[in-house]
Amino acid sequence: MQRSLKFEVFRYAAIAAFLALSLIPTLWMISMAFKPIAEWQSTGADLTWWPKNPTLDNFRFIFGESSSDMISALERTAGRPILASLLSAGFGTVIAMLAGTSAAYGLSRFGYGGNLPLALVQLRLFPPMAVMIPVMIMWAFLGLIDSWIGLALIYGIVTLPFAFWLMKTFFDDMPREIEDAALVEGCSRWRVFLRVTLPMMRPALASSALFIFILNWSDYLIALLLTTRDWVTIPVYMASLSSSMTGQLYGAKAALGLIAAVPPVIMGIAIQKQLVRGLTFGALKE
Amino acid sequence: MTDMTSNTPSRSQSQSAADEGAGREEKRLGFALTLPAQLLVLFIALFPILMQVYISLTDWSPLDGIPWYRAYELWIGLTNYVDLAGDPRFWSAIWRTLIVMLICVPVQFLLGLGLAILFVDEFPGRRAMYSTILVPMMVVPAVAGYMFFMLFQSGGPINGILSFLLGSSVQIAWLSDPDLALLGVIISDIWQWTPLMFLILLAGMLSVPQDQQMAAVLLGAGWWRRFFTIVLPRMKTIIVIAIAIRVIENFKVFDNFYIITGGGPGVATETISIYIYKVTQNDLIWGYVAAIALAILIVLSIVSGMAISRMRKG
Repeated sequence: MQRSLKFEVFRYAAIAAFLALSLIPTLWMISMAFKPIAEWQSTGADLTWWPKNPTLDNFRFIFGESSSDMISALERTAGRPILASLLSAGFGTVIAMLAGTSAAYGLSRFGYGGNLPLALVQLRLFPPMAVMIPVMIMWAFLGLIDSWIGLALIYGIVTLPFAFWLMKTFFDDMPREIEDAALVEGCSRWRVFLRVTLPMMRPALASSALFIFILNWSDYLIALLLTTRDWVTIPVYMASLSSSMTGQLYGAKAALGLIAAVPPVIMGIAIQKQLVRGLTFGALKE
Repeated sequence: MTDMTSNTPSRSQSQSAADEGAGREEKRLGFALTLPAQLLVLFIALFPILMQVYISLTDWSPLDGIPWYRAYELWIGLTNYVDLAGDPRFWSAIWRTLIVMLICVPVQFLLGLGLAILFVDEFPGRRAMYSTILVPMMVVPAVAGYMFFMLFQSGGPINGILSFLLGSSVQIAWLSDPDLALLGVIISDIWQWTPLMFLILLAGMLSVPQDQQMAAVLLGAGWWRRFFTIVLPRMKTIIVIAIAIRVIENFKVFDNFYIITGGGPGVATETISIYIYKVTQNDLIWGYVAAIALAILIVLSIVSGMAISRMRKG
């Protein structure tokens, strides 16, 4: 549609203004992550927008190296929390995808589990905080407190609704002729599912898994309640990065925040076409 | 093999084939495939809720030294619920959560809609700008919370920008003033989730068929008129979905709020999730927490049940 020049100017100006506001917080964190300790607390007229003496000290510090400026080396480094986040979010994704994909196929093809769509929407609806007391008791009983397995299990359940709904819309969209042809060839239903349907769904499976990984990776509250020391995840560990001796370790936190923020942003941009489908429970496909 | 003779791959086919020999295999497979999900739902819904009902009728706390199943020794009946009804901190947390929602959701909606209008047709740089706009919503919320915690420091960049714009030194203590702290966390929420509104609304706007709009153009309808009479009415479902998603998520809001202010100063930014968290972790009165949680679950079930049945009719 033709638009006037005036509109084009307005459009670029408005988008530029919005982008500027929306990028400032991220850019500030990036800048902070590369600032030496002397520049962290710069204020007022001395406010350092961009590191004057860029350094990797903050990154070295959170991985256990003591630098001359920092008081002392960390007792617990960021390596373990990063591993905890990777393991719990990764295996949580596996659980959600396995249970969600098979259930979605069962419902989409054989009409089983008619109660699942609504049950899973409701599961998504409830604030996790409102079921955490029983979950904490159950996890303590099962010996799953402060373990990545325990986190992976709850992540798998919490993101199951997304896996189920996403895969259901993909299965509903998939033409059945190919499956039918394989059935005619004499394949069993199970073989058709494993050898014909799933391979065809590879792109859908990949984007759904990435989407669910982002959700799991982003959790803070559940890890805060279910981990105590050995398997705290990145966000929980990050909050502990301040001490009475040093105060807020701005630069160190920013460095860790940057490490935490990069994977989901890259994955999110990679699957941006599927984001709408995932976020709206498949109600909207692009 | 009925599939060979009837070449109509319709959705009801699986049902009609169910009485055949292959039908038994389908039945077994359908059952087996949906079983793990069913078990997980039972595991996280049925048992925890029953447990929650039980504990909510007692004065049990993990510090009492008795396991939860012996909580009946501390039976207090409905006392927790009576206390809850008269707990001003609970009601103000609910009220605050609703205020946050009533500010965040409309602002996010209007900003998202405005941006979507700008992005609806092709222009140079559209793809790159689109991807960049989505970045905030993909930042881990806890990290976003930390970003805003840094931004709002009194010597931080927000005061820096204000000082620059006003030409004099601005030293606003954002996070220690109750009203400003609430404004601060609201800004962080708007920052993070406007892109989501934009994303969903743009997808909805692009799915409105072009032909009617073209016809309207030929009839001489102006842009605003086309937007309000053709585009917006056709986006109704999508608008409802987008707003519903944000209302639900806003009700649960915890991560960024808790990291920016910890619910403070005082209780100035204490939303319902932060309130429950504090009672769980600091006060450790789990019987009472169970009652709060259950009350919220019941209200949410009723509200969502009504909303879903209305959406099904509409």
